[in-house]
Amino acid sequence: MTISRRVFVKAGGLALVSLGLDPLFMARAAFAARLPVRPSARRVLVCLFQRGAVDGLNMIVPHGDPAYYQERPRIAVPASDVIDLDGHFGLHPSLAPLKELWDNKSLAAIHAIGSPDQTRSHFDAQDYMETGTPGVKSTADGWANRFCQHDREHADTPFRAVAFGPQLPRILAGSAPSLAIDDLQAFGLRVPQEAARDRLTRAFEELYDGAGTGLLASSSREGFEAVQMLKRADPTQYTPANGAEYPPGRLGKTLLQIAQLIKSDVGVEIAFADCSGWDTHVNQGASDGQLSARLRELGFALAAFNRDLGERMQNVVVLTMSEFGRTIRENGNSGTDHGHATAMFALGGPVNGGRVLGRWPGLSVEQRFEGRDVAVTTDFRDLFGEILARHLGAADLTSVFPGYAPDAARFVGAIRG
Amino acid sequence: MLLAMISAVQMLTTQAPSTALTPHDSAYHVLNRLAYGARPGEADSVARFGVMKWIERQLDADHIPDDRLAAREREFKILSYDRGDLAQRFRDAQQQRRQLQRESGDSSPLSDRRGGQGVRAAGPMREFRELGGELQELAVVRATLSERQLREVMVDFWTNHFNVFVGKGADRFLLPSYIEETIRPRALGRFEDLLIATAESPAMMFYLDNAQSVAPGSSPPGPGMRLRRRFGRNDMPQDRQRRQPTGINENYARELLELHTLGVDGGYTQQDIIEVARIFTGWSIERPDRGADFVFHDWAHDPGTKHVFGMTFRNDGQNEGVRLLKFLAMQHATMHHVSAKLCARFVADEPPDGCVDAAVAAWERTHGDIRAVLRAIFSSPDFWAPQAVGAKVKTPFEFVVSAVRAAGIEPDSTPRLAGLVGRLGEPLYQQPAPTGYAETEAHWVNSGALLARMNAAMAIARQCTGIPMINDHQALVDTINTRLLGGTMSAHTRSVIVEQLSDINDPDQARIMAVGLALGGPDFQRQ
Repeated sequence: MTISRRVFVKAGGLALVSLGLDPLFMARAAFAARLPVRPSARRVLVCLFQRGAVDGLNMIVPHGDPAYYQERPRIAVPASDVIDLDGHFGLHPSLAPLKELWDNKSLAAIHAIGSPDQTRSHFDAQDYMETGTPGVKSTADGWANRFCQHDREHADTPFRAVAFGPQLPRILAGSAPSLAIDDLQAFGLRVPQEAARDRLTRAFEELYDGAGTGLLASSSREGFEAVQMLKRADPTQYTPANGAEYPPGRLGKTLLQIAQLIKSDVGVEIAFADCSGWDTHVNQGASDGQLSARLRELGFALAAFNRDLGERMQNVVVLTMSEFGRTIRENGNSGTDHGHATAMFALGGPVNGGRVLGRWPGLSVEQRFEGRDVAVTTDFRDLFGEILARHLGAADLTSVFPGYAPDAARFVGAIRG
Repeated sequence: MLLAMISAVQMLTTQAPSTALTPHDSAYHVLNRLAYGARPGEADSVARFGVMKWIERQLDADHIPDDRLAAREREFKILSYDRGDLAQRFRDAQQQRRQLQRESGDSSPLSDRRGGQGVRAAGPMREFRELGGELQELAVVRATLSERQLREVMVDFWTNHFNVFVGKGADRFLLPSYIEETIRPRALGRFEDLLIATAESPAMMFYLDNAQSVAPGSSPPGPGMRLRRRFGRNDMPQDRQRRQPTGINENYARELLELHTLGVDGGYTQQDIIEVARIFTGWSIERPDRGADFVFHDWAHDPGTKHVFGMTFRNDGQNEGVRLLKFLAMQHATMHHVSAKLCARFVADEPPDGCVDAAVAAWERTHGDIRAVLRAIFSSPDFWAPQAVGAKVKTPFEFVVSAVRAAGIEPDSTPRLAGLVGRLGEPLYQQPAPTGYAETEAHWVNSGALLARMNAAMAIARQCTGIPMINDHQALVDTINTRLLGGTMSAHTRSVIVEQLSDINDPDQARIMAVGLALGGPDFQRQ
């Protein structure tokens, strides 16, 4: 990014401060020229990581499989409560707000998806799903970051890859600029008066300019660029469109801010958010209870996001992911333990929706992984790769998923051709 | 080996084994790593006292007087409550919450999420919430004020190593005693004792679900022995099923091997995890609603023979688990894994082999005496290498505490500073993953977090009384460099700050600006 522009802004700013003028308009002028020409046509991928390993079997319920009910006498969702999708699978009743999106073919589910690595450690499995290299612990960067490294066509905005949360997740770690935003409203330096704020921002910017190379220098540079762009977009003025109502809680707030950021046309291409609380070892519940409450929040939040973005969803794909699934059989505590394959959702205009994708391996003992878990029939890299290639236009997936040769023949068909 | 011991002792009794660092710079380095940063003038006083002598004194923490902290600790109500008191208060808070929910009559589909309702209301809910804030602030106050700095650093290290998430059900009231009784007394003791103490702690038993792990088919002898109430994550009445657990739970076994001992590359299999889980069946808690005590349930223990790591465990009740923990504490993979983590804390994010090997050797020699392991790290040339100085970026907790110490601020008992640590990404005791918080720069440095640190620096600067008001800007910046940054301010930082002060005439404003830029700038992020 444009050293010359930043020098110009800074030099102009300093000169004007000494004259007692608000230098803001200069910055605006400098930034205006950099905005994307046709912003709303930009394609966006929103990733939601269900940390803790969601129970795919109670999220997208194989109510047509008798083994499901045999193995889960206390926590199976009764067939009468399941929202049927295709006669075999159905949504957990708490996901009712998503049924409409299924019916209009913008929501697809992918079942029996996961990692070829057999680890049942949250830490390892999340790491593998974020680095995109199952079984290889030494990978330093995340697949979403590698996509950005590789495809630099859109590298003109600090908001290209944004994670919501106080820390940058592994999936976005790497050499391509990416941003962690805890709260859009409070992003930047908090000084009440605008002129004083601008001045302090520039002072810190200069300080970190001297930090040489390394993470401190590059991260601070990205931060200051983002502050300027966001200021122009003015996110403090925001009302969700189409009467969308986000649920209370962290997920709703985060998705609202992602919608806000997409609509402000600052060039978001990949947005990432965490959504935790899925590690249901004890008292998981069936139609009601612990998992049900988490799914209800997820369903309402996704539906609100979809409604809020309206027409813009034509260019947006929301992908949920989770490090692994849970045991087919309920455990002694009316919960489930760490398993293998799970289920994911893809939502948006480009999605080939209204279908449960992927090959269903079945739940009988001989069909299971290690005799206990849902077997993986879709490597998560084939789904992620398909979305990167067919939705975001990635030209070369081998550099995004090193050591793996994504093959269109293995794509599950989540994105419309 | 004897020679190695003698040379280690010699190094400690003479001077810092460094050729590149002055006594002052050695002292500043040590205060950055073994303590939460230098207070104004402290690098000089430690240099005069003798850096290696100061390290030895810190390793012998019990003999350092800490009266000022003791006086401040008395302000914290939470220290006068035991687990039973806290459990009672938790129950009262739960009851009030249910009452409020009933009264609001809210049956909308989203009302059962932990929302804001009732949080501001007076009464047990608010009181319990305030106790949670006290718990966090106490960590900040201790780290800031304690003279036993190295012990506080090690408490933080072990708290993360043996992480327990305060937000999980009963851990809301079990965590304070976990910190006070399990971690703190053993922070500079033997690793094996710490490992066993955490394994037997109600907080860990609950957090990693071992309290629910029983041999398949087992059942308690009579109704009196039942776990009467469990606290699920949502604590909703309909979630609280009073059913007996009926099978093994692998969670503790897995994290014990992966995180607490052998490490993720420690060479164990899923079958090993199952065997370890069988060994720990019966390790549980009793009366969780009264504060919970550790209990071994013979009826829940799997009496079968277990084979793991080349050892055979025949039915021997609780002794099986203790024997396994003692075995794990002395495995090479454990020594290497934990030593490398310690070196990542004290030396560099990617620690050189030399200091790790020295730590492992000391561990082996002393049977896991944490003080000996630390001494080996602090005697290692890697610790004193010029490239190690300033090589680490402070975690949010380290950043806030070191800034408060440098600025000479007396932390109060409100949760404000702890809240600041949380906003910078490290809310204390609130890491849900058993990994605890990360130690490395890559986890903490990102653009949003850096902006948050700048904001925090300005907030701290407004309360900084440790720097006098000085009209001469050059002299002001020199004073800040000496007192806050131990003389490490870069020429660039200095010139930028001086330039920024050029049109500020009010000496108080100039001081805030200069201190804020110094604490929020790149030099102070490093240690």
